[in-house]
Amino acid sequence: MKTLLETIDLRKTYQVGKINVEALRGVSLKVREGELTAIMGPSGCGKSSLMHILGAMTKPSAGKVLIEGKDIARMNDAELTGIRRDRIGFVFQKFNLLPTLTARANIEVARHIHGLTNGHDSHLAEVLQLLMIEDKMGRRPSELSGGEQQRVAIARALASKPAILLADEPTGSLDSRNSEIVLNMFRELNRRFRQTIILVTHNPELVTYTDRLIEMRDGVVVSDNDPWDVDSELAQPARSV
Amino acid sequence: MKKQMIIAGLKARPVRSIVTIMAVSLEVILILVIIGLTNGITKETARRTEGVGAEIMVQPSGASAIIALAENSMPLAIGDKIKELAGVKAVAPVMIKLNIEGGIENIFGIDSHFTEVTGGFQWHDGNLFKSPDEIVVDDLWAASKPAKVGDTVELLNHKLKVVGIVEHGQGARIFMSMDEMSNLTGQMARAGTFFVKVNDPAQTKVVKAEIEQLLPGYTLRDVKDLETLLTSSNIPGLGIFINAVVSVALIIGVLVIFLSMYTTITERTREIGILRALGASKGFIVGLIFLETTAVCILGVIFGTGASFLIQRVLQAEFPTMMIEITRDWMLWAAIFAIISGIIGSFYPSIKAASQDPVEALAYE
Repeated sequence: MKTLLETIDLRKTYQVGKINVEALRGVSLKVREGELTAIMGPSGCGKSSLMHILGAMTKPSAGKVLIEGKDIARMNDAELTGIRRDRIGFVFQKFNLLPTLTARANIEVARHIHGLTNGHDSHLAEVLQLLMIEDKMGRRPSELSGGEQQRVAIARALASKPAILLADEPTGSLDSRNSEIVLNMFRELNRRFRQTIILVTHNPELVTYTDRLIEMRDGVVVSDNDPWDVDSELAQPARSV
Repeated sequence: MKKQMIIAGLKARPVRSIVTIMAVSLEVILILVIIGLTNGITKETARRTEGVGAEIMVQPSGASAIIALAENSMPLAIGDKIKELAGVKAVAPVMIKLNIEGGIENIFGIDSHFTEVTGGFQWHDGNLFKSPDEIVVDDLWAASKPAKVGDTVELLNHKLKVVGIVEHGQGARIFMSMDEMSNLTGQMARAGTFFVKVNDPAQTKVVKAEIEQLLPGYTLRDVKDLETLLTSSNIPGLGIFINAVVSVALIIGVLVIFLSMYTTITERTREIGILRALGASKGFIVGLIFLETTAVCILGVIFGTGASFLIQRVLQAEFPTMMIEITRDWMLWAAIFAIISGIIGSFYPSIKAASQDPVEALAYE
């Protein structure tokens, strides 16, 4: 399968006062087209830093990040913005919908930024149907439940047909029932549209919905059951549901 | 889409939006009403002077175009000399006194020659003064006091009786006999201005040249040029005053917009982070803030212009002698100044917003 995203010896160091804190200490991994991957680890293991770098929101201190073969670590702010706009979709723990706009307008904002005009989009219509939020489009975020808000956020992330969907603790603010609904939808999106999805979580239950589990600790990958890597120690899909 | 975002943003913070719009309105009102008042007074004075019906004004050497500032220093006999010139039909000497009691007004001290130049007053009520302590006023002055024929008013520290009310627009708002003005002011009866009516208005330049020859050193003006002369560039200090008003208005606008947009982008740090995470460029963020500012400024201009006309009506109803002239030119300038203040005021906030790191902005609580 085609490699969509690759990191090579990725490092990220933050300066906190006079102390240098190493959030990532040489992360190398490959994500292929159509994979549903979970990156798991305890708080402070570096998974959010990895997510921000993969999402072109921040630059690594060292190493390479290749998205479709292009090293985004060397890109300037405008180029990174272009990557976020055209290749990446984001889903956040706190939904991060624009509170003053309706669900429809939140999705339209993403399409507008992407350069798409208002009008019928069969892909989007299918996504909305799958997420079961077609009838919620006129509501503002405050008029939606947490699960509904997260589904709108997923639709917004997919509105510009990104190559990679990154979800940072997507069920972190949801109860178990809504978490299950959202996770099933991620899996359905992956199956139906072959959408490449990377989920970051510290919730072990989430990994049962994914093809692959990458575990991190102290800024490094400690295990990876990459089904395409013959050298992988756990070269079996994690999905069991 | 941006339009929808801007409207939603303004509606989400109604009090802040209204206060900002009001502040821009204030900027526009300040420009339109104060400049309108300045323009109104000067232009109305010019039109009123033109309304006397003369073609030429003769004033003392170095006199201002503002006739109220002219010194009553010219012997009345000069009028007889001018009258002898071939092209001259009538000459009216006018003694002018600036009254500052209960408003600033010219009082014209006139004699029988004044009617020869004007062709006579248009009477609303009463008649011309026949004895001392009597005055004639125009309808606007009478309405502003209010005063009617038979009333006694205090002017120049004396009680004077209103004996006639005339249509406004013939030089001054208050008229008295030149002799009475001389008595009241303790000055000799001398003229501040001679109004010269010519036989043929087409020959005004010729007659003016003859008067120049007759009275070298005196100031001669074409009355029809008065409106052009009474402008900010010709009246000492007026240009500075107008610049000061515009500057104060501009500073108010810049500061209010700056404060408003700075608070807005602080409140909306997270929203800006979301937009940046979605791939919005710095230019998109700057454009969004500029557009929101422009929308606020446009609303401010609309309300400010409307309010200025309302203030104009109220003031003119309350003080009929107060002329406020709101011109299209100044409406356009007020709008331009409001937009400029918006652009200046929102420049730093918009750059600050666009420069925010998306990760930090998203973490903002």
